[in-house]
Amino acid sequence: MKTAFVQALALITSGDRQLGIILVTTLRMALSSSMIALLLGAPLGVLLGSYAGRGKRTLVVINRTLMGLPPVVVGLVCYMLFSGVGPLRHLRLLYTVTGMVIAQVILLVPLIAGSLESHVSTVAPDIRETALGMGLSRGRILLLIINESQYQLVSAYLLGLGRAFAEVGAVSMVGGAIAYKTNVMTTAIMNYTNMGAFTTALALGIILLAISLVLNAGVALLHWRLEG
Amino acid sequence: MMKKIAVLLLSLSLLATFLTACAQENGAEDQTPANSTSENDTAEDETPGTEEPEEGVDLTILYEADDDMINNYSLLAVNPDAPFVDADGNAVSDVYINTEGAAALINWMLSEEGETTATEYGYADYGEYLFYLSEGAPVSTAEIPQATEETKVIRLSTTTSVNDSGLLGYLLPIFEDTYGYTVEVTSAGTGNAIANAKSGNADLLLVHSKSQEEEFVAGGYSYVLPSFDSERLTFMYNYFVLCGPSADPAGVKNAASVRDAFAAIAEGKYPFVSRGDQSGTHTKEISLWPEELGITVDAASVEDYTDWYTYSNAGMGVCLTMAEETGAYILSDKATFLTFQANNGVME
Amino acid sequence: MKLPPITKTYGNRKVLDLPALELADSTIHTIIGANGSGKSTLARILAGVLKPDDGRFSCMDRVGYMPQRSYPFRMSVLHNLQITGAGRERAMKQLETFGLAGLAHQSAKGLSGGETARLALARILIEDHPLLILDEPTAAMDVAATLLAEKILLEYQARTSCTVVLVTHSLTQARRVAGQVFFLQNGHLVEQGTAEQVLLHPRCADTRAFLDFYAL
Repeated sequence: MKTAFVQALALITSGDRQLGIILVTTLRMALSSSMIALLLGAPLGVLLGSYAGRGKRTLVVINRTLMGLPPVVVGLVCYMLFSGVGPLRHLRLLYTVTGMVIAQVILLVPLIAGSLESHVSTVAPDIRETALGMGLSRGRILLLIINESQYQLVSAYLLGLGRAFAEVGAVSMVGGAIAYKTNVMTTAIMNYTNMGAFTTALALGIILLAISLVLNAGVALLHWRLEG
Repeated sequence: MMKKIAVLLLSLSLLATFLTACAQENGAEDQTPANSTSENDTAEDETPGTEEPEEGVDLTILYEADDDMINNYSLLAVNPDAPFVDADGNAVSDVYINTEGAAALINWMLSEEGETTATEYGYADYGEYLFYLSEGAPVSTAEIPQATEETKVIRLSTTTSVNDSGLLGYLLPIFEDTYGYTVEVTSAGTGNAIANAKSGNADLLLVHSKSQEEEFVAGGYSYVLPSFDSERLTFMYNYFVLCGPSADPAGVKNAASVRDAFAAIAEGKYPFVSRGDQSGTHTKEISLWPEELGITVDAASVEDYTDWYTYSNAGMGVCLTMAEETGAYILSDKATFLTFQANNGVME
Repeated sequence: MKLPPITKTYGNRKVLDLPALELADSTIHTIIGANGSGKSTLARILAGVLKPDDGRFSCMDRVGYMPQRSYPFRMSVLHNLQITGAGRERAMKQLETFGLAGLAHQSAKGLSGGETARLALARILIEDHPLLILDEPTAAMDVAATLLAEKILLEYQARTSCTVVLVTHSLTQARRVAGQVFFLQNGHLVEQGTAEQVLLHPRCADTRAFLDFYAL
């Protein structure tokens, strides 16, 4: 393990060009997919959480099932769709970062929606009753609920971001781990592991964890700063 | 409140956009070194190995260079008019294949420059050649066109052993620099690599499994390039190596042939680690056991041998570690074994 | 205001079963009863946030309703008051009335239980409602705050001559605000009348038992 830490440090300080590109690709993919997933998943989660009518339980169960989607299955489906003989072949998305982002968004949207849904479900009834009693409109009530879920929004985003960083099943299938193009930290780790280069693989793992720490700390700081 | 959350989201999306811009910049200046996975790190990996010889791996090459262990590599161009079918078996006619790019890469790899470069790979790093030029390998003298916007990206599907050997990282930058192409390499087990091409996701193949290649050709998925006389362009080879504990309890070092060596391992029930993943290496290993054992790629065929035979279903590196730790014998491609050895007992 | 007979059932449990009632306009109606007697359910049905069994209760417009767990919104105390569109000056004045002016710019989430309850009442009383329904508005307040709240409520009622439905478990409060009193038990209306009638000269044995128990 010590060697891996030393090597991780050496890799970072050496300014290794290949590592740099892997890092940039990883960040680009994970930030894009988590952001898009937040923009899609958060409204879904808030709507689902604040909705109290018929069929809510069914929708929640469906979403929870989707939260458990195995990444490889999503990867496989995207692979088949984007493949040279697949129905979406003309988009030429296989082995591209865009394709990887799409696969990750499919994985992350239920996760973010579910995490918000469970929070909103607990606060929404009280907020709704209070706001209705004050004669506020449905639109205002929804805004109040979103306003009330700020902290949860940030933590749902971080949940998605963490998953996007750590996920390997979908991105390796859709991205193909092409060096200098779609190779990200996790696929590189897998690749080195298969080659028997365990120390290098572990060093990359340490770096991945460090980036995740920096990003999480950054978002948390920003959040606290904004909260005052 | 809402404004603050908007600021938060905005700054994050800006970061994402910024990184996208960065990546594109990188991509633009980066025609050069596509795919050199192990080129950089082998140099680094060697250092701890030489510093701590007492922690070196015990696993050594016990048997190699038997004719039965020859590993032939072929290039195959994917036929744009192949009978492609989708997942439901319906014919798909408009599959995009970069035929010109594939032809350019094949013509270059089979040119004198390409073949010489390929065969000299490995000596500088390992003191050994990893690939040899096949006798009667086709040689191309065809003119190689410069890349155009349309033919620029070439998709090469290959096996993990080729990718892990670092050969392509050594070879391709020369081609890319000279002619302006970008070669996107994807690697998987041989069966998978070929399936990938059948799905229209590769312009050419570099693989090492004769039977599967012939099946690919027979299916109409490959075609004869103008300057050659066959679909399968077998041009280089190397050897699989039989590795095991240096003490060599089964005495395979002195076996008359590799088949005898495998028979000795089975006879004495010495531990053996198999890839078990239907890769080219796995297929080769299956062919070396005494026939009466009835070992096939099917896991069920080794059910009676679980006391000594490990059907691992894992990559080469993982299997090598397993063999090292359990003092088992193992069949490996030479390049991966040498990388493993250079890495030298990595998990402290 | 005339009310039709109201029932509310959860599963097989009937939590409310009331006959047709008439609520006099411009009066304070106090609903008393033990926990689980159906007081809050009645308040929620009157407010229109809960549907009775027959689902056909048309509540009147511009009803003001303060639920038992009135929610302090995640914004400043002042903004909480301005949410229905009240101007800044009026909101500040209202905060002064409730003794919350010093907290105007603090987050409503940081208030104590009693302060939160005062904020909730201030928030609902900032607008004029022809019908006002308050579900235990002073449950979390200390004596001083409770007396202040009652005073403000009576002034509000006198000024707007609105109809008030006040749910409370405090008998002393029911006496102080006077008006009409309804005593509920297990979802049934046991007794109704003026505060003096019901609280001092109850006709029903159940009411007497309840009063005795609480008066000790």
